[in-house]
Amino acid sequence: MWKQPAPANSSFNDYNTFPLPQTQRGQSSHAHGPVGHTQQPLVTGTSVLGLKFDKGVMIAADNLASYGSLARFRDIQRLHPLGKHTLLGVAGDMSDFQWLKKELDALLREEDALALSDSHPSLSPKNIYELLSNLFYARRSKMNPVWNAVLVGGWDKVKEESFLAYVDLLGTTYTAPTLATGFGAHLAQPLLREAFEAKAGINGDGPLLTQEEAEKVLDDSMKVLFYRDARSINKYQIATITAEGVSISDSKSSDTYWKFAEGLRGYGAQTQ
Amino acid sequence: MELNGGSVVAMIGKDCVAIASDLRLGNQAVGVASNFDKVFPVNDKLYYGLPGLATDVYTLKEHLRFRVNMYRMKEEREITPKTFTHLVSSTLYEKRFGPFFIEPVVAGLPTATELDPHPKPFISTMDTIGCITTPKDFAVAGTAQDKLYGVAEGLWEPDLEPEDLFETISQTLLNAVDRDALSGWGAVVHIITHKEVITRTLRARMD
Amino acid sequence: MALYSQPPMSYTQEPTTAPVEHRFNPYSDNGGSILAIAGKDFSVIAGDTRQSEGYSIQTRYARKVWQLNDKAVLATNGFAADGTNFVKRVKQRLEWYEHAHHKPMGLKSIARMIQTMLYGKRFFPYYVYNILGGIEEDGTGAVYSFDPVGSYEREACRGAGAAQSLIQPFLDNQIYFKNQQPEAGSEKFVPGNLPLSTVLSLVVDSFTSATERHIEVGDGLEIYVVMQKGRSADDLLDEKKLAPGLKVEELGALGEGEGERTFLVRQSLKRD
Repeated sequence: MWKQPAPANSSFNDYNTFPLPQTQRGQSSHAHGPVGHTQQPLVTGTSVLGLKFDKGVMIAADNLASYGSLARFRDIQRLHPLGKHTLLGVAGDMSDFQWLKKELDALLREEDALALSDSHPSLSPKNIYELLSNLFYARRSKMNPVWNAVLVGGWDKVKEESFLAYVDLLGTTYTAPTLATGFGAHLAQPLLREAFEAKAGINGDGPLLTQEEAEKVLDDSMKVLFYRDARSINKYQIATITAEGVSISDSKSSDTYWKFAEGLRGYGAQTQ
Repeated sequence: MELNGGSVVAMIGKDCVAIASDLRLGNQAVGVASNFDKVFPVNDKLYYGLPGLATDVYTLKEHLRFRVNMYRMKEEREITPKTFTHLVSSTLYEKRFGPFFIEPVVAGLPTATELDPHPKPFISTMDTIGCITTPKDFAVAGTAQDKLYGVAEGLWEPDLEPEDLFETISQTLLNAVDRDALSGWGAVVHIITHKEVITRTLRARMD
Repeated sequence: MALYSQPPMSYTQEPTTAPVEHRFNPYSDNGGSILAIAGKDFSVIAGDTRQSEGYSIQTRYARKVWQLNDKAVLATNGFAADGTNFVKRVKQRLEWYEHAHHKPMGLKSIARMIQTMLYGKRFFPYYVYNILGGIEEDGTGAVYSFDPVGSYEREACRGAGAAQSLIQPFLDNQIYFKNQQPEAGSEKFVPGNLPLSTVLSLVVDSFTSATERHIEVGDGLEIYVVMQKGRSADDLLDEKKLAPGLKVEELGALGEGEGERTFLVRQSLKRD
C-alpha cells in the first residue's frame, strides 16, 4: 500500500530520471548515455553527381535509400530544391537528410517572410552553401556529425554564373566544374572530367557542354554507376538549375544490356 | 630498414656513374658505428650499395661475391651491370616469402662490345624482393629515400662531367642525410669513369 | 575452488557478437604542400592547389595560401576543413584588432596570436601545419612556422605538408647553404639575402620536384610575394626577368595601405 521508503539518494539523480539508468555489463555503454552522439549511418543514399554546363548546372542522384545491403526505399527523392535558384543533392544518411530539409525549409520560410516586407535579398546558392558548411563543421566539431555528403548546385543571379560545390560530414568543402560523391568519385568523376575537359580544356576556359551534352554524360555516368555500384538502382532524377530556376526531371531509367551475361558462369541461368 | 638505418644514392653522368652512401650503423636511434660501408665493388667498372638490415648486408654481400666469382669462372669474363642487376634480383626473389631487408642500388659502366660499341652508363635499383627499375637519372634507397628524391630531383641535370657529378651526388647525399635521424655520420662517394674509380670520404655532421 | 567460483563463460554469456564500434573520426588528410622563404625586404609564401583524400583528387583548385592583411600571408596545410575554419577565425581576430586599435596587427603579434589560438585547442587540435610569411615592423621579410598545437619559431625558410621531406633538405642546401662553403677568398654565404628572382625559381623548382615524386602534390602553384614599402617591384613585373609560364597580378591593399605590396604569382603544375 505504501511505497517503500527509498534510500535518500536512490530515486533522484542529476537528470531526474526514474528508474535510475543502469549500465549493464557487456552492453555497449553509449546505449545509455545522456545524449545520442556518434551515430552511424543507417538508411543511406549512394552517389550524387554534379556537372556545370553552358547555361547552368545539373545534379543527378538515384531514387534508392538502402538499409545496409537491402534496397529498402526505392522511390526516395534525394534532390531537394531550396528557393528558386538552389538545389541540394544529398548522399549518406537519409534521416539526417530529412532533418536537414526540415531545418533549411524553415529557414527559407523565414527568409521568404522577410522578403515580403522589405527589400530583403533572397539567399544566394553561395549563402546556403556557406551556411551548410558552417553547420557541418560545427556538428563534426561537437563529435556529432550530420552524416551526409552534399552537392549544392545553383545559379548566382548577381554574378550570372552557375554554382557547384561540395560539403560533407567532416566540414570538408571544395568546388570544381564536375563533382561526385562516394562511389561516383571513383566511377563517374573520370567520365565527367573527360567530357568537360574535351570541350572546355583543362583550364575550363573553353566553351562548356550544352544542356543536351551534359544530360547525356550524366545519363551515361548513372548507367555506369548502376552497373557497378551495388547500392544503386536504375531509377534516377536529374535536376537542372539555370537562370530560369530549378527543374527536377521525372524519374528515369537507363537502357541496360545484359546479353553478355548469357555466356558468363555466375551471371545468368546456368545449366551446369 | 629502420633498425640499422642508412641510405644509398646513385647517379648517371656523361660517360660516368656515381654511387654514394652514408657510413652510419645504428641500433634504432642509437648510433653504433660511423664506418659502416654499404657500397661494394664487383669490379673496377661496377659497384653496388646495400642499404637496409646490417646482418643482411653481410650475408647478401658474401652471397653475391660467391655468385659473381662462379659467373667469372664459368663465363671467363666480367659480369655486366645489367646481368649483375638480374643476378641480385633473382637472389632476392629466391627469398620471396622471407626476404632480405635490403633495397640494393647498382651502378656501373658497361664495357664496349662488338654488339654494343657505345654502351650507356647504367644504374638500377630493386625493392626487397627484387623488382627492378632502371632509371635514366638517379636511383635512391634507404631510410632517407624521400629526402634523397627531393634533393636529387632539384639538383641533378643530364650529362654531368665526373667532377660535377661528384659535387651533385655529394650535396644530394649530405643534405638528405642531415634531415634523416637514421642516416649520416659520414659518407663515401665513388665516381666510376672509364679511366679510373675516384673514391672520396666526406666529412659530415655527426649528430 | 577459485577455479569454479565463476562458471565458465561459455554458457552464462552468449558469445556477444558485439557490434564493431565505429568511432567517428573527425579528421582527414587532404595532402598538398606549402613553403615560405624570407628575403631581406620581401617574403614569399607558396602552396600547390591540389586537394585530395586518399587516392582521389577532390579538386584541382583549392586555396591553401591566404592574404591576411597588407603585410601578412598565411599558408595552411593538413586537414582542409580545419584550415579554412582556422583562417576564418584568424581573419576575424585581425578585424577585431583593427577596430580596437585602428591599425593592422603586426606580423610578430599575429604569430603569437596564432600560437594561442592553436594551443587553445590543444586537446582537440586543428590538424593543420601553418606557415606565416610577411613583412615585420622593421621592414624585414619574415617567416614563422607552427606545429598543429602552436609551437612556433621565426625562420628564413620552411616547407611543410605531404612533401616536406622532399622540399626541406633542398631548402637547407639552397637557402641556408648547408654543406656548402665559399671558394677560398670569396665572401661568406649569408642566408636570407637571396634576390627575389632566385627565390622564385627555387620555389618553382621545389614544387616541380615535389610534383614529380609525390602523388599528392600538383595541378597548380600559387606564390604570394609580400614586399617592403617603397621597394621596387620591377624584378617581379618585368616579364623578361620572369621564368616562362609564370603569371603575376598585384593584389590591392586590404586596409588603409601603409605601402607594403602583395603580389600573386601563379603557375600550372603537372596534373598526373
